[in-house]
Amino acid sequence: MNATESVKAIKGGEFLIRETAAESIFIPEEWNEEQLMIAETCTNFLAQHITPNLNRIDEQEEGLMAHLMEEAGNLGLLGISVPEEYGGFGKDFKTSMLVTEKLGAGHSFSVAFSAHTGIGTLPILYYGNDAQKQKYIPKLASGEWKGAYCLTEPGAGSDANSGKARARLSEDGKHYLINGQKMWITNAGFADVFTVFAKIDNDENLSAFIVEKDLEGLSLNTEEHKMGIKGSSTRQVFFNDCKVPVENLLSERQNGFKIAVNILNLGRIKLGGGTIGASKDVISLAIKYANEREQFGRPISKYGAIRYKLAQQAIRTYASEAAIYRASQNMEEATDMLVESGMDEIKAKLKGTEQYAIEAAIIKVHASETLDYVVDEGVQIYGGMGFSAEAPMDRAYRDSRINRIFEGTNEINRMLTVDMMLKRAMKGELDLMGPAQKVAGELMSIPDFGGAEEDGLFSKEKKYIAGFKKAILMVAGAAVQKLMTQLGKEQEVLMNLADMLIELYVSESLQLRVEKLVGIKGEDACKEQLDIMRVYVYEAAERILKSGKEALNSFAEGDELRMMLMGLRRFTKTEDFNTTQARRNVAAKLIAENKYCF
Amino acid sequence: MSVLVLVEHTEGIIKKKNFEAVQYASQIAKQTGTTATAVVLGSASAAEMESLGEYGAEKVLHIADPRLDELHARAYAKALIAAAEKEGSTVIITLNDINGRAVAPRVAVKLKAGLVAGALSYPDTAEGFLIKKTVFSGKAFAFVNVLSDVKVITLMPNSFQINKGEGKATVEKLDVNFDEKDFGIKVKQVNKVTGEVSLADAELVVSGGRGMKGPENWGLIEDLAKELGAATACSRPVADSHWRPHHEHVGQTGGTIRPNLYIAAGISGAIQHLAGVNGSKIIVVINKDPEAPFFKAANYGVIGDAMEVLPKLTAAVKKYKASHK
Amino acid sequence: MKILVCISQVPDTSTKIILKDNNTAISSDGVTYIINPYDEWYALIRALELKETGVASDVHLITVGKADVEPIIRKGLALGGDEAIRIDAAANDPYETASYIAEYAKSVGYDLILCGKESIDYNNGVTGVMIAELLDADYIGFAASIQIEGNTAIVNREIEGGEETDTCSLPVVIACQKGVAEARIPNMRGIMAARTRPLKVVTPTAVAPVAAILSYEMPPAKAGIKLVDPDNMDELVELLHSEAKVI
Repeated sequence: MNATESVKAIKGGEFLIRETAAESIFIPEEWNEEQLMIAETCTNFLAQHITPNLNRIDEQEEGLMAHLMEEAGNLGLLGISVPEEYGGFGKDFKTSMLVTEKLGAGHSFSVAFSAHTGIGTLPILYYGNDAQKQKYIPKLASGEWKGAYCLTEPGAGSDANSGKARARLSEDGKHYLINGQKMWITNAGFADVFTVFAKIDNDENLSAFIVEKDLEGLSLNTEEHKMGIKGSSTRQVFFNDCKVPVENLLSERQNGFKIAVNILNLGRIKLGGGTIGASKDVISLAIKYANEREQFGRPISKYGAIRYKLAQQAIRTYASEAAIYRASQNMEEATDMLVESGMDEIKAKLKGTEQYAIEAAIIKVHASETLDYVVDEGVQIYGGMGFSAEAPMDRAYRDSRINRIFEGTNEINRMLTVDMMLKRAMKGELDLMGPAQKVAGELMSIPDFGGAEEDGLFSKEKKYIAGFKKAILMVAGAAVQKLMTQLGKEQEVLMNLADMLIELYVSESLQLRVEKLVGIKGEDACKEQLDIMRVYVYEAAERILKSGKEALNSFAEGDELRMMLMGLRRFTKTEDFNTTQARRNVAAKLIAENKYCF
Repeated sequence: MSVLVLVEHTEGIIKKKNFEAVQYASQIAKQTGTTATAVVLGSASAAEMESLGEYGAEKVLHIADPRLDELHARAYAKALIAAAEKEGSTVIITLNDINGRAVAPRVAVKLKAGLVAGALSYPDTAEGFLIKKTVFSGKAFAFVNVLSDVKVITLMPNSFQINKGEGKATVEKLDVNFDEKDFGIKVKQVNKVTGEVSLADAELVVSGGRGMKGPENWGLIEDLAKELGAATACSRPVADSHWRPHHEHVGQTGGTIRPNLYIAAGISGAIQHLAGVNGSKIIVVINKDPEAPFFKAANYGVIGDAMEVLPKLTAAVKKYKASHK
Repeated sequence: MKILVCISQVPDTSTKIILKDNNTAISSDGVTYIINPYDEWYALIRALELKETGVASDVHLITVGKADVEPIIRKGLALGGDEAIRIDAAANDPYETASYIAEYAKSVGYDLILCGKESIDYNNGVTGVMIAELLDADYIGFAASIQIEGNTAIVNREIEGGEETDTCSLPVVIACQKGVAEARIPNMRGIMAARTRPLKVVTPTAVAPVAAILSYEMPPAKAGIKLVDPDNMDELVELLHSEAKVI
């Protein structure tokens, strides 16, 4: 870990073995005036068009969602990152993340928005030929047409490539005839354009097709009854000899799975952005309620039990957000670098995003689980009113849950996190072996207790985070060594490793965010952020220790186990710290501001 | 040196709030060892003008030009300035109402005078000329120090109790030469809302919010208002949903009112709404949610569904009126 | 026809007012600033509508303030203003503000000057009238609708107990309130265009203030609420009569 190397942004997955310089990351406190204005437009759009209509949206009032999408289109919100030549605004990835975040508090509308601008638009934008793009993208970017994406089938969810949908060329060679059944299709009820995945004949891999809603042979089932996001249109789509012109084949034959996977990488980090936006909104509601609701003669925000919850909600959200924008910036920079090296812009975008697929998966899991925590405690803070369908927590609670399921379940994403990391190591893209051996060597040696202890503002947390990396390298190294090819089947171990990686990435992102922020604003202006960081990293150490122990206990034994457990404790050791006081400080700020304010 | 006060009339009748302004002027006059002079514009009867003496005016300057029966702010300003010159006045007062707000700033600019818009207090002259006024739509008060020799004040109506006394003002005519351009604004059409109490002047106001569920339930608000002789008002979401006309919206971005009694039915009491009504002397809040923040700003509270409580309150008022005839 | 729209920066309507420096100033900690709603929702949007319908050729925005007010100016440009002017001064007294705006307006010559009926921070509602007086122009306050026909403004405005329709030759200063237009949300096209639109910074001829705020005070807390049973409205009426003495 060479400090001079760390100035340059690290590659995807390298956070495990390298250090990152705080100044190299992007933090949300750096939004420029134009970006803040765009964010305000999103907030005003929700306040004016969505929040007052949430009940009508959830009742799926005829035509309402399509109309709201058009309203968003009128404001330009559906074309943020679409190139200007296709009727969009050509904004960078971070700005589109910001829009996703701000609209993330829009419940079912957010789902429709994300599906339309993500999986509904991007496959055509990224893989379409010029004619396809000219035909579809301007109308999708303006909201005149609405997009949907048909991948999942009744028998093919997480295992998407196993779908039964088939396409065959018509006798005159002018059409593909698609047959099959797709389910959980978001926006199906009002979409004009579907990106449909099916295998041509007996191909091994999926192909993708652009299917317009009026084509012969396409039909919709009725709306699904769902636990949450009730206003989001979710239907089955049936294809019965659906005649798709041959020119509507997207990209090349058998390229569909690649498209699906690449689009998902983007979808995952975007989902992180959206859920963090929802979290902030729910926290603000909870704070306002706690400030208003009085029991025993005082607002409940005066009580420690409630303050704890408010602080924890904010701490997790702030941490998750740090990771989201760090990775967004990395993706953007990687893309820019590839473009500079001569790559076509869209290819560069896909490649740049794919480089940070590990981070995207981590973010998807962490942000969606943060929202679930936030809404759960939101209900609790509201008490009896939390359980009432007349108060906003009811909808927030139900709508949150899907986020751990779609865009790849959190279990799939956890496995992917470890799987991608190990694959990159095996391909030689990521040097895990060297650092892992070094850690193994350190285990055998006498711990270095001496040395000059740095006492900078962040030295403790930096030391802890360096320890987290060692802990993961040790446990993962041992797992690979012990379980070898069996590791893929030991899903519990994979979950443990993923949890450790998630905690590491988020802790480090948070620490870097606060370090950069202090550099800009000074320590005095960042007291609560420092407390947020200290609490989160302290707690992350405990969680990493627990996951590591579980993993080690499952496959190691005897002296080796004892030695590794000792190492694990050493690598996750933290100094005693009064988390209660730190959380009180965080809560006090939230309560004074009467809203989420970090 | 007298303190000058503009007195408005509607078709010759002087409304009560003007008495408050005259009384305010005469108090300042006493404070500064001088007298109060009222300025009346247009067609007003001698008796009506003389009666201003009951509120402390020594003298009335009457500029009888009938064109002044309607607001022509430039002419009004010119008349006030002419009166001020005649009287050597250094303090000039109007009401902080629609007309006063169109006239006083012109007078202030012409005389290079500092202006306090919406005065709530008498000037504190211990160190300067300090007057209290509302800022942030009632979320706070400010003390404005007027630095110039001449001071212009617009008085917030309903700030002081009016005490009618004895006395008769002497009426003196004053001629002012107006230009054509002083009457540049032509009134084409006037639509007075008849039968209803105007919100800005109302002493009693009944107001409804989202808790009223829909415009079809506004009869309940109107019934109570009618029984009380009150004006009706509403919260912003109600006006935004077009349940009620926009001019009824009170709050930080709607009208600011200061009635003696404000009855809020089904209004939760967002900070923006409170800003527009917290100058009310007495606030009654009816809301089924005991956590509604409005209860914290209220004098009297009724925890219950506005739709059920309002008819009961209307009935109780009816009963009270019958027994107090 | 050239329109000048006066905008002012005010704390967001949800701001809690906190006093500081021994009650001589308002804390700006955590305060979000916005364009005064009357200026933005009604005056500015109506000006833009007049441009969109071909009545006006240019819509200029003007505000008095130091550089920290520029975000709200650019929001005005994002909504559709063609050009903005920032008078580089920290005016606290409406007379100062009006003098600076009038000085600039005179130099350009506008046919129509629009502003909000008052700013929601200092609640004076006098700046527009003062500008009119300084420009020797007519002024119509409390406007609820504005039409322009040739050289004439036709304005519905609030009067006591109703509404009237006034006509007046241009140039005129009109202060707007609800009804004049509907609030808009800046769209992406406008936001991106805002950067390229001119923002002129003008140094005014200094004017000595004629009034100044010396201190602030918070409203007294209500003495505590008296709850009345919903089934006993007679008691409420009795309290309003004998205790509160309001009926």
